[in-house]
Amino acid sequence: MSNENNETEKQVLTTTELLKNYTNAIQTGLDNGSKYVDAFESLNTTKELNDLLAAAVQLTNYRLNTDFVEFPHQFSDEDVQLIFLERLLKLSDNANGFTISNAENVQKLLCTFGSLGDNTFTFTKSTKNESGFFFGPTAHNRPLFYLNLKNKELMFHGTSLIEYFVVDLEGLDVSAIKQALQVMIQAAQVLKETFGFKIDFNVLDGVNGEFYEFAAGEIPEPILDELFVKSADNQYILMSGQNGGAALTLDNDTKLTVYNAGDDDRPKWGATIHDNDQQESWLNLLLDYPFIKDWYLNNKKQLDILSNKIVFG
Amino acid sequence: MDNKIENDPFSQNDTILSSALTEKVKYLSDLNDSIKNGNDLKVYELMDPNRFATEVKGEQPEQPKPNFFGLAADLKAQLSHHLSNKLIDYLGTTYPFFYYHEFELGKFNIYFGNWWDHRMFGELDAINVQFNFAEDEYNTLAKSFELEAQNKRVNDDQMQELGQKNEKLTQLIEDQNKRDQRKEEIRKQIKENEAKSPMPWEAGKVKEEHQQLQNALLELTNIDEQASDGRAEIKKNENQILALSKEETIYNLEKQNIRASFGSFEAFIDNNNNLYAKYLQSLSKETQVTDGE
Repeated sequence: MSNENNETEKQVLTTTELLKNYTNAIQTGLDNGSKYVDAFESLNTTKELNDLLAAAVQLTNYRLNTDFVEFPHQFSDEDVQLIFLERLLKLSDNANGFTISNAENVQKLLCTFGSLGDNTFTFTKSTKNESGFFFGPTAHNRPLFYLNLKNKELMFHGTSLIEYFVVDLEGLDVSAIKQALQVMIQAAQVLKETFGFKIDFNVLDGVNGEFYEFAAGEIPEPILDELFVKSADNQYILMSGQNGGAALTLDNDTKLTVYNAGDDDRPKWGATIHDNDQQESWLNLLLDYPFIKDWYLNNKKQLDILSNKIVFG
Repeated sequence: MDNKIENDPFSQNDTILSSALTEKVKYLSDLNDSIKNGNDLKVYELMDPNRFATEVKGEQPEQPKPNFFGLAADLKAQLSHHLSNKLIDYLGTTYPFFYYHEFELGKFNIYFGNWWDHRMFGELDAINVQFNFAEDEYNTLAKSFELEAQNKRVNDDQMQELGQKNEKLTQLIEDQNKRDQRKEEIRKQIKENEAKSPMPWEAGKVKEEHQQLQNALLELTNIDEQASDGRAEIKKNENQILALSKEETIYNLEKQNIRASFGSFEAFIDNNNNLYAKYLQSLSKETQVTDGE
């Protein structure tokens, strides 16, 4: 009975009602567009970090088109992340050294680091998580870090950072490379301090005692023999340490320790760095000491520093 | 009883026996006091009074002094443990590059340096104040000093040989294309040779040519095989070279440390030979200073 009734009602939709539905649909589409514009306006001009993050989260995966209203010119989700990053640095007084380089190219914004010349960088959306994005150099497929504004996560990828900054950019002034790294570290720090983001600094972590875990688990003795020989060639002496480990005192009392944090059955080899200012990171050592870099690259398979496997794997 | 003594053919009497026992009791009591007072100097004197007189005091006693150390000889391990305390302190300043590990009571392994893969260099004899160096390790060090004077290293020959092997192998691997081309040519020549239908008087020559070509081809495939095993071989040699350069690095550190403390290997040897006297004289000075205060 009731079914019949409903069908009857639909059938008697008047022209006025039809047109009203039509205008409503367009209005909804326009409202949706206007909400988008507000959010974009906020992303572009707000002075408040909180509003900036809210706008970026809102704009990421925003469905701007509706059945009745479509917008032909749209910024991509990747673009939104990049604009967010640039504005974040600007608002936290870290604008120097990071710029969006081609603002007119909607859909694929690129950015540059002031100290790295023409090398451009951009975001790429994760295939596993629609709110996750990888930041990397446009010319190389290397995810330097992963950013998820919605889940408040930023994770650096050790292997890619080393491949890019130590190998690809070899020959470039180390201080220029460090400046660029500093920009990324600052961005991560602002996210951590302002919004409580979970950050994995990985090979950029300068905090004393941070354990850089090697991929191999077990490090065979010849690898440490090699470090010993290379150190001695450079007037540093690798000292024997606890449980078959080793320690190397570098310049300014910076101490690198390589050891097994597991046990014989389940070896978990890695390195820690201690320095007075808690500034030195694994990546810095590779940049500052060519013999450590050579050692690392010669034994990359074993010495690779592990990053988050779920995100980057 | 009395009767017996009077008739004793060895003129033994209790007074003599008693005084001999008293001397022994005194010896052990002196030793005990010296240990309790931390007077290691006296302990050393009690353990070997003759050596002490000649080497420490510079005396030349006409008759050897009585030595009662046999009474406490079964306590060598305990004595060694006790004496090692001050001795190792002393050695810590004179031989700062030696490290010791007491692997059982009173027995100490010597390690040269605390760097990576430092060598176990023998044992420390705290009773006689001497190093008993491990022969192999010591000889290598001596050889390293000796060769250094000629600008050479212990492992030079071996390392050079391995390096040359690797150069050769690398060349073999690099020449693969050339060999492939050459093999192609030879195969063509073999085909040509086989296509010939020679006159009977030429048949021998053609056959010989065929054999030569086959041989040449075989030789090249043999080289191919060497080249294909080459990479593994190169890696193996590299590992050996690494092990050898590690050894050289260790010898270098040892030499550097000996020179820093003694100036030369000869001075080091000389000091080792006089260690007993030097140590006990230093203890003696210390005792005097303490007494003076």
